[in-house]
Amino acid sequence: MSGTENQRGIVATGLYLPRQRLDGDEIESAWGTSAPVDRAAVPAADEDALTMAVAAGRDALGGWDRGADAVAHLAVATTTPPLEEEAFAPRIAAALGLRSGIPTSTASRSTAAGGEALCSGVDSDGPALVVVADAPSGDAAEVGRRVGAGAAAFLVEDGADVVVAAEARESRDAPGLRLRERGGTDVSELDITTYERETTRDVVATALDRLELDHDAVDAASLHQPTGDIPHRIGKALPYDGAAIARGTVVDDVGDAGAATVAVGLLAALERVEAGSTVVAGFFGSGATAVGLGFGVENSPETGVENAIEAGEGVSYPAALRARGTIGETEVAGGGAHVSLPSWQRTIPQRYRLVAGRCTECGAVAFPPEGACHDCGARAEFEPTTLSRTGEVVAVTVIGQGGAPPEFVEQQRRDGPFAVAIVEAPATDGDGSARFPAQLTDCDPESVSVGDGVAGHLRRIYSVEGVTRYGLKFVPE
Amino acid sequence: MTDAYIVGAGQSDFGSFPDRSYRSLFDDAFDEAVGTVDGDFDPDDVDEAFLGTLGVGGRQLGLSGPAVTEHLGLHGIPTTRVENACAASGYALRQAVMAVRSGMADLVLAGGYEVMTDMSGDHTKWWLGVSGETEWERLSGTTFAGVYAQMASAYLREHDDATVEDLSRVAVKNHGNGAKNPHAQLGFECTMDDAMNAPDVAAPLNLYHCCPTTDGASAVLVASEDVAADLSDAPVRVSGAGAASGRVGLFQRDTLTGIPASGTAADRAYEEAGIDPEDLDFAEVHDCFAIAELAAYEDLGFCDRGEAPDLLRKGVTDPDGDLPVNTSGGLKSKGHPIGATGTGQVVEVFAQLRGDAHVQIDDPEVGLAHNVGGSGGGVTVHVFERVAEGEL
Repeated sequence: MSGTENQRGIVATGLYLPRQRLDGDEIESAWGTSAPVDRAAVPAADEDALTMAVAAGRDALGGWDRGADAVAHLAVATTTPPLEEEAFAPRIAAALGLRSGIPTSTASRSTAAGGEALCSGVDSDGPALVVVADAPSGDAAEVGRRVGAGAAAFLVEDGADVVVAAEARESRDAPGLRLRERGGTDVSELDITTYERETTRDVVATALDRLELDHDAVDAASLHQPTGDIPHRIGKALPYDGAAIARGTVVDDVGDAGAATVAVGLLAALERVEAGSTVVAGFFGSGATAVGLGFGVENSPETGVENAIEAGEGVSYPAALRARGTIGETEVAGGGAHVSLPSWQRTIPQRYRLVAGRCTECGAVAFPPEGACHDCGARAEFEPTTLSRTGEVVAVTVIGQGGAPPEFVEQQRRDGPFAVAIVEAPATDGDGSARFPAQLTDCDPESVSVGDGVAGHLRRIYSVEGVTRYGLKFVPE
Repeated sequence: MTDAYIVGAGQSDFGSFPDRSYRSLFDDAFDEAVGTVDGDFDPDDVDEAFLGTLGVGGRQLGLSGPAVTEHLGLHGIPTTRVENACAASGYALRQAVMAVRSGMADLVLAGGYEVMTDMSGDHTKWWLGVSGETEWERLSGTTFAGVYAQMASAYLREHDDATVEDLSRVAVKNHGNGAKNPHAQLGFECTMDDAMNAPDVAAPLNLYHCCPTTDGASAVLVASEDVAADLSDAPVRVSGAGAASGRVGLFQRDTLTGIPASGTAADRAYEEAGIDPEDLDFAEVHDCFAIAELAAYEDLGFCDRGEAPDLLRKGVTDPDGDLPVNTSGGLKSKGHPIGATGTGQVVEVFAQLRGDAHVQIDDPEVGLAHNVGGSGGGVTVHVFERVAEGEL
């Protein structure tokens, strides 16, 4: 570990929570029993762990005084990568505009993955971006009652105000606490109550106990939190008081976001303590493993957790199930507009980052940057130039239920009618602008008009041949 | 160079015919076209055929032209399938005119066909959607209705005076005309209430602002001067044949409120015919969506930018106005069987100029047909003139 001597730690943080929230009242009226959480974040049909990772990563980069080019290592974690076998990190690196060929590490298959990714970032050289994003799914009862989603990001480098003081691990052969069968999408638990609680408590507490720090001085702790009671049970094995545990517990507000819950809880813990405090994070994964991290907080960062938790828009219980695809999934005849993967891959800089072209003959901006210049007609080369991610709607419509092309039918069933606009965005160097078609998301589609300002976010476009295509969609500002 | 003349034009019924093949629909169109030939028609005299189709459903993408002419018994002639989306048969006509004018052929069959209603809605949308700009526009989740709706949104924004009511006026007018056309798919009248209160398809376009999906075929016989004089007592001269391509994606055009290729094609057609838009007595324009008809008024020079709604409101384009538009009922009421649409418009122009139209206007001499592919990637504009008796 690089350690305290060069003050390696967290210099910027990022957060993403889906806009939609399922309220405990909805859960109670659906199930007739008290809700296990107060609210749970519900990803939209075009959101997944990857899009949330990118959103949190962008947020962290936005709060950092260096550019994406300066990031030297990307560490990511999730239990729900979009595909069971396919590298998760390169798409995130591309979407964030990190330098090509950047070393990446991916932690998965365990809710302790967030801790592993943080350790990987701490142990690497140079500035590291650590992103933890997760959107677990379960059967209708589980996802409707307590499963959430979210993402947290951490920029780790030397000279930090939040210093990584210690890290420690524990592992034990303890199967069956939280698992997803091969080929399955749903997380399940065997509900062997005492076995689960004791294993969770012992493994996490053992890892934390190994941290070389004064446990009596811990002011906030984000501990494994599938539900609100578990971190308090773990805390009782250590000298942490209820207030310290509460500062790092967010599951009641965002739901069980898998690997991301403790990471988001860490953001809360960091924001909720005074300068000079000690904060710990205890990640747990079934199997069982635990990762403990201890932080010395020289200045408490504004992580934005409080505001993000308060924000969001309530959805009904059926709407939450629909958005998650728990109900209403269907096979659609007709297939998708076939843009081959090599053709798609060629356009990724445009789809993720709005890389346009400037005509070397006349200076006009072209998007996409190919073909003859639309202004002067020259088949000149285009110099790369980037469009702003904020632009203006110049034409817009709403594609109603039944009107979507086949490849968007599933999304529309889950999220309802969507707006499609032509957006005009200025070149970031201030010289000229270009237009492109884009879907709008995270809004009431009827409320968008020509002239409105919109901002780009990476979202799922659609899946064909088993491969999800991602690209920018736009949200009204 | 010889001039090209229309000596016969006909179409099948437009509608939904699950028990008909595209080939048998074309037989109907061909037979009706032959029925309008005044002289003795011998199928063996047909030199060549150009047939338009998008190929919806993919039932016969390769060699679908020959598949149609063999069904008619026109064996051995060169037959070419022409594909330019919704302007397929507008371009087929253009090819026929070129073949005649060049002297390579004396009698050419131009036409088109499409069967669109025999598959699931999703399948139809897939086929139509791949005629738009597929890599960017389509992947934003839009459809043709969506792209035209975007044009409408920009138009309503750009012209304060224009309203959704103006879009509905297009539907009311065209349904009024189509109600008298026995070939029309939606041959019923609609009220302003109907056209305002229909469910949205893609805001601001509602169901009455959109044409239906349609099965049908149309056929036109194009002849050289000598042959035309033998076959027809009242041939119709193709006095201007203009065409233009345009950016396939709406987002790539300088304007979002018109179709630049329409203007270019029209200018070329007017110049060749030696006329101005003011000289037109009537027009069949491509009204796949209500905004398309308004844009056509402006693109084709019937009025200045922003004045299309006023033209419509004042009744200028009504059957009894100064410039009747879409007396056939247009795509809106008559139907829009993609490949058959362009030459289907010519069926109406031919009938008007010979005094045989169902909504006959008073003594027309010059008419126009305007056929748009996709949302404006390809356009044809043809100008037709009545030939005075004894002129040939």
